[in-house]
Parts: sequence; C-alpha cells; structure tokens
Amino acid sequence: MKRALPFCLTLLLLLAFFPLSGQEILKPFVFTPQWTPQAQFAGYYAALEKGFYREEGLDVKIVHPSSTSSAMDRIIGNQSDATTLQLAQALELVDSGIELVHILQTSMNNGLVLVSRTDVSPLTLTGARVATWRAGFAQIAECMSAELNLEYEWIQAAEIINLYVVGAVDATLAMSYNEYYQLLQTDLIPSENSVYRFSEHGFNIQEDGIYMSRSAYRKDPDRAQRFARASRRGWEWVRDNPEEALDIVMTYVKRGNTATNRILQKKMLDEVLRLQLDQKSGRPEFRLVPAMVDQASDLMYRNGMLKRPIKIEEILP
Amino acid sequence: MKLKLSAPDFVRRSLSSRLSVLLALLFGILMLAALDYVFTQTRKGARQEAEGRAEQVLDNTVLRVNGILEDVEIAADNLEWLILRDITDPDKMREYSNEIVRNNAILNSCSVSFEPYFYPEKGRYYSIFSYRGPDDTVLWKQEGDDSYQYFYLDWYLMPRLLQKPCWTEPYNDLEETDDKVMDTGMIVSYCKPIFTADSVFVGSFSLDVSLQWLSETISAVRPYPNAYCILVGRGGTYLVHPDPEKLFFQTIFTEGLDHPDPEAYELGRAMRERKQGMMEMKLGGEKNYVFYKSLPNIDWSVAIICPDSDIFGPLDMLHRTVVIIVLMGLLLMMLLAAWLIHRQLLPLRTLAVQAESIAAGNLEKVLPAMDRDDEIGVLSQSFRDMQSSLVRQIDELTKATAARERLDRELQIARGIQMAMVPHTFPEREDIDLYALMTPAREVGGDLYDFFIEDEKLYFCIGDVSGKGIPASLMMAVAKSMFRILAKQGLPPADIARQINDIAAEDNAQMIFVTMFFGTLDLSTGVLSYCNAGHNAPVVLRHKKGKAYFLPCKPNMAIGIMAGFEFEGETLEDFRGDTLFVYTDGLNEAENAAHEQFGNERMLEILGENQRKGARDIIEIMNQAVAAHVDGAEASDDLTMLCVRMAK
Repeated sequence: MKRALPFCLTLLLLLAFFPLSGQEILKPFVFTPQWTPQAQFAGYYAALEKGFYREEGLDVKIVHPSSTSSAMDRIIGNQSDATTLQLAQALELVDSGIELVHILQTSMNNGLVLVSRTDVSPLTLTGARVATWRAGFAQIAECMSAELNLEYEWIQAAEIINLYVVGAVDATLAMSYNEYYQLLQTDLIPSENSVYRFSEHGFNIQEDGIYMSRSAYRKDPDRAQRFARASRRGWEWVRDNPEEALDIVMTYVKRGNTATNRILQKKMLDEVLRLQLDQKSGRPEFRLVPAMVDQASDLMYRNGMLKRPIKIEEILP
Repeated sequence: MKLKLSAPDFVRRSLSSRLSVLLALLFGILMLAALDYVFTQTRKGARQEAEGRAEQVLDNTVLRVNGILEDVEIAADNLEWLILRDITDPDKMREYSNEIVRNNAILNSCSVSFEPYFYPEKGRYYSIFSYRGPDDTVLWKQEGDDSYQYFYLDWYLMPRLLQKPCWTEPYNDLEETDDKVMDTGMIVSYCKPIFTADSVFVGSFSLDVSLQWLSETISAVRPYPNAYCILVGRGGTYLVHPDPEKLFFQTIFTEGLDHPDPEAYELGRAMRERKQGMMEMKLGGEKNYVFYKSLPNIDWSVAIICPDSDIFGPLDMLHRTVVIIVLMGLLLMMLLAAWLIHRQLLPLRTLAVQAESIAAGNLEKVLPAMDRDDEIGVLSQSFRDMQSSLVRQIDELTKATAARERLDRELQIARGIQMAMVPHTFPEREDIDLYALMTPAREVGGDLYDFFIEDEKLYFCIGDVSGKGIPASLMMAVAKSMFRILAKQGLPPADIARQINDIAAEDNAQMIFVTMFFGTLDLSTGVLSYCNAGHNAPVVLRHKKGKAYFLPCKPNMAIGIMAGFEFEGETLEDFRGDTLFVYTDGLNEAENAAHEQFGNERMLEILGENQRKGARDIIEIMNQAVAAHVDGAEASDDLTMLCVRMAK
C-alpha cells in the first residue's frame, strides 16, 4: 500500500493534467460548408488534408449539412463554429437578429444563373414556375424577379435539377459551378438564349464567405483568424495544385456519397476558382467588397427581404 | 554473279521467275478480289444477323423491364383506389401502405404522404412509410419533421407539380433506423398525386423499386460474350451500367463536357427522342455497335453495346486464316510454277549455251537430240536445221571466197600486166613534152594509150574499149599491140585505123568495139597527122590562138564495128608550140555522187587556164580536178589522159 501511494498520486496528477490540457489544445473547431461535399469547398478540404489547420493549432472537423438541414440552421443552433454562407444569406441572418462575424471571403463574383426549359430568355417567362433550393441561395434571384415584375412562382425543392429534367418546372435556378454543369450533362438546355447569368446583368454580388456567430467569435478571435488564415492558405494551395486538389475533393465526394462525378467536379473547381478572381484586379482578393455589400443590402431592403439596410461594419470583426 | 543480282534483275532475266511471279500476281489479285467479295457478303450477313439478334434481345428486355414497371403501376392504381376510398381515415393509410409492400415482392417501400395539416389531428407532417425489413417482414413508421420535410422531395413534389403519375429520377434512399443509417441502394419511385373528389391536391404516394431489380434484369442480357446492356434515364443518366463509376452520377453526355464526343451526343439525343436504331461508335478505342430502343411508358431507353470484335471476331479470324492460307498457297504455287517452268525451259538454256558456242565458231558442236513434240521440240529441231544449213553455207562461202581470192590475185596480176603494157617512161627531149596517165575503174580496164618515137616521128594513140573488165582489157591488149606493129611500119594514122579495124571486126561475135585516136607528129616538120576512130575529139591548145578547143575530126566509125570501113585521116600543118590533150570519156563524163558530170566546159576551162604549163602538170591538175569533182564517189569508167606539147 505504501508503495502504491506515490503511484496513485502520480496517476491522479496525470489524469488531472492531460484531460485539461487536451481540452485546451484539441477542442474541435466544427466547420460547416453550406452544401454536400463538392469542389466548392476544395480549399477547406485541402487545408485539412495538407495540415494547414493543424499548423495553426486547430482541430477542424468538417461537418456537412443534410439536404433538409441547412448551414443557416446549424449556425443558428450553434451546432457549428463557422460556416460558409453567401453574402445575401448572411445579411438575412443579421437582419433576423443573429449577430455574425465575417472572417474570410472567397467569392468575388456571383455564380447564380437562371435556366429556362424552352428556347427563350427566362426574362420572358412571367409567372413561370422556377425551381429553387429549399436551403436558400435564391435571395438575389427573388429580388430580380420582384424588380423586373416577373412574378415567378418559386418551387422549393431538395433536388432542383430533377424537377427541371422531368419538366415539372419552366425554369430553374442553378449555380454556375454546380447545377449548371449538371444541366449541361443532361443536354437539356435548349440554347445559350435560355441562360440568364445574374453577374452579367447588374447583380454581380459576391457569394461565399466564412461566418461565425459573434458570440463564438468573441470567445477566441485569434482562433477564428487562425482558421481564416489556414482556410485562405488552403484555397491558394488549390489554385496551385488543381489536380491534387481534385483528388482530395473526390475522396470527400465518395465519403459523402454525393451524386456527382470527377468531370463535374473538375468543372466546378475551375469555375469556383474563376469566381474567386476579382474582375478588376484579376486576382483572388479574399475580401468583402463594400460596394457589393451595399448593393445586396439595398436590393434586399428594397424588396422587403430586410427590415433595415445592413452596413458592412455590422458583419466585420 | 547470279547471286548478286537484285530481285527485279533476277525476275527480269529469268523467264521462269517472271512467269511464276506474274501467275502468282494474277491469281493473287483474282483470289483476293473473290475473297473480298465473299468476306463483304459474309460480314453483311453477320451484321444483319447481329441486328436481328440485338433487336430481338432488345424487344425482350424492353418487355421484361416494362413488365416490372407495369406491375408497379398497377399496384399504384390499386393503392390509389383504396386511399381515395378511405381518405378520411389516416390510420387506414398505414394499413394499405403495409399491405401493398407485403403483396408486391418487387416493391422496396411505399410512402403515403399528405399536405401540411391535411389531418389536423396529425399535425403538420403526416407521411406513412412502409418498408421491407429483415426476413421479409414489413415495417412502417410515420415520417416528417422539421429536419425531414418531405414536401420538398422529388417523389412528393413531382406528382404535385405535374398533376399526374410519374417516375422519379433514381435516388439513394438512406433508411434511418433507431441506431443506424441503412443504405438501401438506388431506387426509383413511381408516384401519384392524391386529389380529392373536387380535384384538390392533398398529398402524394410513392411506390419504391430498387434499381437492383432492373439492373439484374438488364445486366443478364448478353447477346454476345463481351456485349452489355445499359438503361438510360431522362437527361441521359445511366440507370444501369456495368461500370459502377458511371451509374446514376454520370450521363451519356458527361464526358462530352471535358472533350467533345459527337457520337455520344448523337446516341444520347436519339435515345432521348425515343428513337429505335443502331449506330457505330468508338468506346475505349474499340468500335462498337449500339442498338437502342425506348420503353413505351417512360422516358427511359435501353441500349445494347456489342463490340465489333464480338460480332465479327470469329468471322474476321476465319477471314485472316483464309487469307493466310491463300497467301501461302500462292507462295507455294509460285515456287512450284517457277520450278516447273524452269524444268520445262531447261532445253532452251542448253540451246542458248550451244548457240553461244556456235556463235563463238564451234560449228561442229553436236546439239542434244530432244524427244519432244511441243514448241521447244520444234525450236530445237529448227535450231539443228539452222546449224546444218549454217555449216553448209559457211562451207560454200569459204570455197567461194577462195575462188574469189584466186580471181582477185589473177586480176591483180592482169592489172600489173596491163599497166606494164602501156609505156611509163616518157621522152626526155627538148622539142617534145609528153605525159600520160591511165586509171582503170576496176582491176583491169578497157582504156589504152601508147606512144613511141621512131625516125623523128612520134606515134601515139589512145583508146577506149566498149565495156569494162577482162573482155575489154583483152581487146585493149590486142588493139595496143596492133597499133605498135602497124605504127612501126610507118603507116599513116588512117591506115593504122583501117587495118586494126579490119582485124578486130573479123569474128567479132561479142561486138566489142574500140574508139581510138591515132596521131603521128613529125618532130622535124611539126606536122601532126591524125585519125579519130569514133573517139572523143581531143583538145588542142594552139599558142597562136591562145585558147583551148576541140580538134576538128572526121566522123569515122569506131574500131571493130564494120570491116572494110574506110577511115579518113587529117593533118594539122604546124603543131610547133601547141599542145594536144587526148582523153577518154572517163574524164568528161566522170560523175559525182549526185550524178553530175565533170563536163567538157570544165575540162576546156582547166586546159585554157593551164595552157602554158607542162604536159605532166596539165594531167596532174586535171586529175586533181576530177578527183575533187568525184569526191570519193565510185569511178564508173576508166580514165586515161595523154598530153603532147611540142616546143616552138
């Protein structure tokens, strides 16, 4: 027993020390990209796989939303530390009273397109049924519809492409990097005439950025900045190593059982990287453009989607 | 040497090689053309058979797949009837849903779902989901909550929007049981909208079928060992494909996004447009035949992909084998033909060797006897005949040549004698200058001349015997001898002519005659007496006149024509200082190659130009002029010239 005492004390000390320090160091940082695994999030996968997060002292867990539980829901419910949101989504959340902090901007352009099922411009289809995502992303399109008095009937769906394929809608929204290529691979888009690109019609409002709830951010701003820094590094690595990045993406795609294929993911990665280039400088700038924030805020406020205009300062750290 | 010949040389020089190569080429072309025709026809036949077989298999497959789908659709109709009958009782929905899964082995699951608050007592969500559990039991659960809002899913939304039954695109249904998520694989659902009696949409129900069913049905279709069958949905999605990478997530057009693939687009569009047909396309570098047909009640299309090697492989193998056999046969035929022809032509080679030997002068070489009646036998016999004929002719030619040589020798001797008969030594005196030249056209000639001085008188003559050769030369010898005898007697020229004529004309059966000119020049008085017996008039150069002209002559007959003819002589009184040029017609009638005669004018001109020259110079100048005129043409007549010049 006498001999056992020092051993027990040592054991107690070890037990007391390691779990505490382990909690400090290995507390997971849960990050939720706003969609199922795909090349849209290649930079985060790369940052994780290449150890950039670890180098910043972060244990990042990437948890994707389900098709019926969106990233917005997850951030509202504090299920994730950070999430990617489109700028318009973030403004909506802020408007609803949820304080958000923007920690990194990846998109510099708008990737939203509207594709009609017949060989006419979607702008001629007043009152048409238009498929949109249940999970959001359609704020700019809804504003456009209201501004141009198109009176679209928005059909929310989990899988908007299928509605278009079977002809259950007259048109569908699509992301230029995702659904648009899915539509192309069905060969059902009648012509370029049927495609309306928001970025080319005065709606070039940047999209994906990383957001945190302000309360979570305040707890450890440095941790958030480290996450943003490593994420940006991940994207820069992807731009330099697109083939290897695609391999990483495909492992996530397979794990997540995403309905896609390598060719679509390659196209998606190319397009996402293109959307990250600022139109003026031609470089990825990883920043919010105040004019775009103002434009989005004005547009959404004017169309009743915001109760008040939201300034960029409200989402900056 | 032969080994060093190149192949074309060998073929060119060897009849047997050439013939055998030509035969092989001819047969080769004919055989290959025939084979090509046969192969084309058999390929056409094989293709038609493949099309027929594929069409049959396609029809069967479409029927079977359609049978599965129709079973589901019928079950749905039954379920719809039950739902509508008891639409007011939500619990009945569970009962019917379970029942339909239990009674239809093909169904994976069934859901009957309603609009929010359709049954107020059930709340916002009411969706009965019945599914096949372990040991073929049927389990059920009520679905729908804030995290699973079925209103937005295809199987609910599509029939609502379309307002009619429809098949969904395939999707992966994850069954969440109490403790785990179970992947049931890809399914497609047949879903129908539920309308109340007053056509209000109140919900949808769906019957779910595992694509495994279709996959097993379709994958079993293999009309050829490496052929496979695919099922393509709307938008070109692969619903059944042997490559799992392509299933569901890829369409027939996907690869065209990365690099243009017009064939895939053509096929995909034809299938989408519900066409039936066949097209050739390259897949993985190999040619394939794709037979496709759409299903009758759904926008799906079945295609059978048959590799070219499967359809035509055995045929192509047969073709290759036949071609190899034919080529080997041709090679064998060529070698055999070469050997046979070589054997048949061996006598020709022997003949060629013998001919070379004979050509080298070995005329006695004995040709081998050949017991053949064909062309080669005939040729050999002809060759032997030719050889004996040649031997005979050469023998005769040898004899003839010997005789000719002997005659030539004799003629040379005769020529020597004849030339010796005319004097070649000319008088060397102050008062007279004389020179003569005789050139026979053949070995011996019929011209003559003679002269001598006796008692201070110069006797001379010149003559031309009719005809040429030996008879003429004999006559010339006679005439010359007689002149010498008669002149020695001091007779005047006319008498000499008469006596020679009388003798010559006698017994002149050959009618040989001689034209002659006789002259006697008295060296002391300068009187020239002469008689022209039918000869060319000589040319006289009289120093007093200073020009050349023909000596006037009485028209006497030639010697030997008529015996007893009275020849008349003439006299030139003073010949001192004058020159007389006597000649035969070999001079003025000498012809060149163009048959132009030398002519009297040219003769007179030369003589006129050279009248002050000596006799020898005149003759040599005249001789050179004639040679220049004739210019190598063969002389047709003897040429004789005599020139006498008397000092003043």
